[in-house]
Amino acid sequence: MTELRLEGVSKRYGTGRDDGAAALQDVDLTVRDGEFFTLVGPSGCGKTTTLRTIAGFEAPSKGVVSFDGESMIGVAPERRDVGVVFQSYGLFPHMTVAENVGYGLQFREPPDGTGVDERVDELLELVDLEGMGGRNPDQLSGGQQQRVALARALAPEPDLLLLDEPMSALDARLRESLRRQLKRIQSTLEITTVYVTHDQDEALALSDRLAVMNDGEIEQIATPRTIYHEPETRFVAEFVGDNNVFDGTVRARDAERTRVDVAGTTFDLPPGVGFDGSAQEQERERISFCVRPADLSRAVDQNRFAVNLETSEFRGESVRAYGQWNDVPIVLQLGEVLESEKDATVTVGFAPEDAHVLNGG
Amino acid sequence: MSRSRPGRIASGAGRIRAWLERNAIRLTALVTAGILAVMLYLPVGVVFVEAVVDEGVPTLGHFAAVLTDPFYFGVLADVFADPLAVGTHLGSLAGWLAAVSISLSLEYPIPGIDVPVPWLAVDTPGVRQGLFGFTAYQAALSTLASVALGLPAAYILANYEFYGRRTLRSLTILPFVLPGIMVAVGFYAMFGRAGTLNGILGVAGLGPFAFIETSPLTIVILAHAFYNAPLVARLTVAAWESVDTRTVETARSLGASERRAFRDIVVPQLAPAVLTGALLTFIFTFMTFPIVLALGGLQLATVEVWIYDRIQRLDYAEAATLAILETILSLGLTYAYLRYESVQSGFSQAPSPPPKEALFPDLRTALSPRRLAICGYGLVALVLFVGPMASLVVGSFTDGTGFTLRNYAFLLERQLEGASFQTLPLPAIRNSLLFGVATLAVAVPMGVVISVLTARTGRSGTIIDTLAMLPLAVSGIVFGIGLLQGLVFGISLPGGWRLQITGAVAIVIAHAVAAYPFVTRNVSPLLSNLDPAMVESARALGASRFRALVDVELPLVANGIVAGAAFAFAISIGEFSSTVILASGSESYTMPVAVERYLGRRSGPAIAMGTLLLLVTAASFVVIDRVGGRYEL
Repeated sequence: MTELRLEGVSKRYGTGRDDGAAALQDVDLTVRDGEFFTLVGPSGCGKTTTLRTIAGFEAPSKGVVSFDGESMIGVAPERRDVGVVFQSYGLFPHMTVAENVGYGLQFREPPDGTGVDERVDELLELVDLEGMGGRNPDQLSGGQQQRVALARALAPEPDLLLLDEPMSALDARLRESLRRQLKRIQSTLEITTVYVTHDQDEALALSDRLAVMNDGEIEQIATPRTIYHEPETRFVAEFVGDNNVFDGTVRARDAERTRVDVAGTTFDLPPGVGFDGSAQEQERERISFCVRPADLSRAVDQNRFAVNLETSEFRGESVRAYGQWNDVPIVLQLGEVLESEKDATVTVGFAPEDAHVLNGG
Repeated sequence: MSRSRPGRIASGAGRIRAWLERNAIRLTALVTAGILAVMLYLPVGVVFVEAVVDEGVPTLGHFAAVLTDPFYFGVLADVFADPLAVGTHLGSLAGWLAAVSISLSLEYPIPGIDVPVPWLAVDTPGVRQGLFGFTAYQAALSTLASVALGLPAAYILANYEFYGRRTLRSLTILPFVLPGIMVAVGFYAMFGRAGTLNGILGVAGLGPFAFIETSPLTIVILAHAFYNAPLVARLTVAAWESVDTRTVETARSLGASERRAFRDIVVPQLAPAVLTGALLTFIFTFMTFPIVLALGGLQLATVEVWIYDRIQRLDYAEAATLAILETILSLGLTYAYLRYESVQSGFSQAPSPPPKEALFPDLRTALSPRRLAICGYGLVALVLFVGPMASLVVGSFTDGTGFTLRNYAFLLERQLEGASFQTLPLPAIRNSLLFGVATLAVAVPMGVVISVLTARTGRSGTIIDTLAMLPLAVSGIVFGIGLLQGLVFGISLPGGWRLQITGAVAIVIAHAVAAYPFVTRNVSPLLSNLDPAMVESARALGASRFRALVDVELPLVANGIVAGAAFAFAISIGEFSSTVILASGSESYTMPVAVERYLGRRSGPAIAMGTLLLLVTAASFVVIDRVGGRYEL
């Protein structure tokens, strides 16, 4: 299969040399053979531009896109052997489902000498649409159309599968079942896959690894667990899941702990954080760290502070409570909020090892 | 599983085919650009050169002569002659304003009936408008009449449901493609001394009245309204139906009365469409030709008619100068229109269009003032829009006293016994159909290619769009002289070659150049509404850009192509201005030219020929309608 590599890829729009808006800024990433890789970020972060650059619909202003070490710069999309599924699916409305799925097979022969019809049936079966080949796309539901688009992209056995927010037009329940199906198909075929989404739940659930993007740059590339538990930047911490971010100043360090002052309150963090032992300790005094809502607990007696609750949301297995502590917005995950606690204060604490220090401010 | 799977590129022939496929769009674009350069820009350039070069010496003398001649520019000629004498000009303007008087009098507008009508007369001391002034004046009046007659129709079509509404809405496109000369003949048959209207009035013991002779300007303006009121109505209905009722309902729920909500929500959304219609009407009627030529003659000469007259007298330099001035004016207006159109291109079909009321649900409602007013308008519309066409058919079978086949007998006789230098009916019909089909073959690919290019280039496509829309701004006459002076007479090329295109070929190309913008205008919106993901999916699956166009885009815009083709054919059938120049003295005359030639002495044969033209035009539309076209402008 295929390893995809982007090296120093930048994309500028506009004609001027410097005034063009940068859509992508020095993007470096490697997607390993057979990996499910996700680009996630808010709208306008450059994730779709990155995908379109990989597919060949956009030419990078700078940098190299390569498949298995072979540069793709200047290669037209139709000669790249990629399968693409778009947000709007892009099904051909004047062709039947079978004609849609078989369209690519007139340019790229079906693998292993299978006939076109055979291959189409095979693909329709793979996406659970047996017998639907004769229908027109507009006779299908959104979820079915999405699966036709997937089957169409996979039919010519592409080296690379690219998916651009393929589920965002579907309702939440359907999305979850389709994403399990997609994951199953992807791991059966072991096809290198790049998936673009703005939905961090989807990104965490599907990916082998993911890249969090912001403002045309990659903030962090890691496995879902690492991204969730050890975000490198404030942006990643706040974008992926709910988080509480504190900005403070290092007061004292010793072998057991690092003492950090936030808005007049001192918190204990694990020893050595934010400090790499170099001489310029002064410059490293400012520090940001985050604590997940689930790690802020009424039962912990370290690092306690009182949160003024403002609203709460019932989520079934738990309650999300939103409030403030010294102008820092705080999200809590509580077992239950008592009537008497509404519009009141709750005192919570966290264990030093549950705090995670962020790079930069 | 590698990128060089077998079956991609095999032989040398395959490689050439692949190259052709990759570059097909570019190649077609080059051919189109070539045709436009030779057939559009070159002729217009020739006219321009004719206007500014006098015996090999560049000069602006022709322009100065025209601009300062009161015959052309009326009072403005003094201003052009001495632009710095501002004081004098303001003085004469003040003097003129002082002499304007408004008086109320009783008039008897309908001759022969003693019913006095109070009449507000604006008495202005005579202003010499000049030829350009008069042309603009009649265009402005025509625009007013078209808007006044078009808006009620738009109101009815957008707000009421009745039997045949959709058909009527489709039919609003029909006048637009009717040959001008035929409409002129239709108006003759309706309003002429022996026309239908006089026949009806005669039953009531009135008349006959000489409508056309008494007030040719009114008839010309009504004929222009016949053309353009449906256009105004069409554009306005489209805007009206795209008004989202939920916005009106929101305004009502916020406390606006029905009338107020209409004024605040609906009117601002209709205004751009009405203005677009008015602007287009002004452009079209400014360049009017066959109607004025046939109904008014030289006494009502517009710029276009005068240019034609100059050409007949072989005064090419003056004709070219006038043509360039006219083109500059109409280009300016067309540019304004395109700019304006692109600003308001935002609105599309509303998610919830306004509901439609039944027009005549019961007798009681049918007698309400509003319904009676609608009936009154319907009567006017019947006289103005259906009248001329019906009269054309009726008039071809009658001669003032009763049923006759004399007119058709004349055509048959002419066909059988006419000399070869005379205008024969059958060759005219054959030429019209042949040229129509040939025009299709040239105009449709040209129009589609320009659509593809502009849809793909996005914003920078506006420049290509404007350049490509030049035929809308260049009148048939100007184009005709250019072709005549340039390609028909021939242009010497270096190396002893001579570029010369004559006769049928020149006519077909002139028609194609006039027609392709309508293909483009029908195809472009559909093309740019297609989901780009479809083309990109096709390409990711291995299709070249050209294959994606052929496999995906073209089938999906087929409706627009068919509609554009219908326009192209109809425009070719009806084209008069450049054909009459290019066909003069040759056997390549078409049906409209034949109508004009027969119109000379007696109107009967011309009316019969016009009826045949109507039949051919209608038949072609029926055929295309069956094929599945959808007409949009």
